[in-house]
Amino acid sequence: MTGAPEGGTTRILAVRALLYFALWIVVDQSAKPANLVFGLLTSAVATWASVKLLPPASGGVRLGQLLLLLPRFLWQSLVAGTDVARRAFAPQPRLQPGFVDYPVGLPRGAGRNAFELIASLMPGTVASDGTPEMIEFHCLDTGQAVVEQLAVEERAYARALQPEPRDG
Amino acid sequence: MSVVLDVFSIVAIVAGLVFFLAGTVGLLRFPDAYTRLHALTKADNLGVALVVTGLLPQMDGVLAALKLVLVWLLVMLSSGAVSQLIARSVRRRECSE
Repeated sequence: MTGAPEGGTTRILAVRALLYFALWIVVDQSAKPANLVFGLLTSAVATWASVKLLPPASGGVRLGQLLLLLPRFLWQSLVAGTDVARRAFAPQPRLQPGFVDYPVGLPRGAGRNAFELIASLMPGTVASDGTPEMIEFHCLDTGQAVVEQLAVEERAYARALQPEPRDG
Repeated sequence: MSVVLDVFSIVAIVAGLVFFLAGTVGLLRFPDAYTRLHALTKADNLGVALVVTGLLPQMDGVLAALKLVLVWLLVMLSSGAVSQLIARSVRRRECSE
């Protein structure tokens, strides 16, 4: 599905606008004409904002691949929540907090931001700072193999980004 | 069947509340801003996920269920984003002191 750049952009914008309107329907659910008109206007403004904040040229994600990450992500959320709860309820909270520098392969931009967001919801890590080559994570337990675990996540995540499969 | 679903709902929602409690206990007991962020974001995320899962079978239609899932996704998105921003601002303040 690689049309001319112009047509590609129009298509991306149309898909975004449709998605925003679908979101509106889910949130509103009254189906009153006045609300729908307002929803159309809101979707238009949201699409405009999305072009400003996340230009179509910045590369998208492969939705199917991203959905494949979902079970893994849900499992990680479960592990993360249980881990923190266990430590919180422990008579003596067993924490070994500290900062760990993770050498990141993803270039700065929307893709890396999304990875930082996912990693911040995973067990024991919150992104706290960064430079172009690395992300600094705060870790609940620096005794764990944090860097290795993050590298596994980054590889899985990188497969869901668009540019990679072209040369791989 | 509906009894089974009701039991499922109750179990999931109660489990969710336990994780909310864990998040708050962590907030009070953990030693610094970073560790407290871990407690709040991770435990509460799982709490929301379980409460939403428990409520899903009780919804009237697909749209209402989708709205619940949307709420869950938005909570996750905002807690993931905000926890990083708070961690970063605390970190930079500490570094500049």
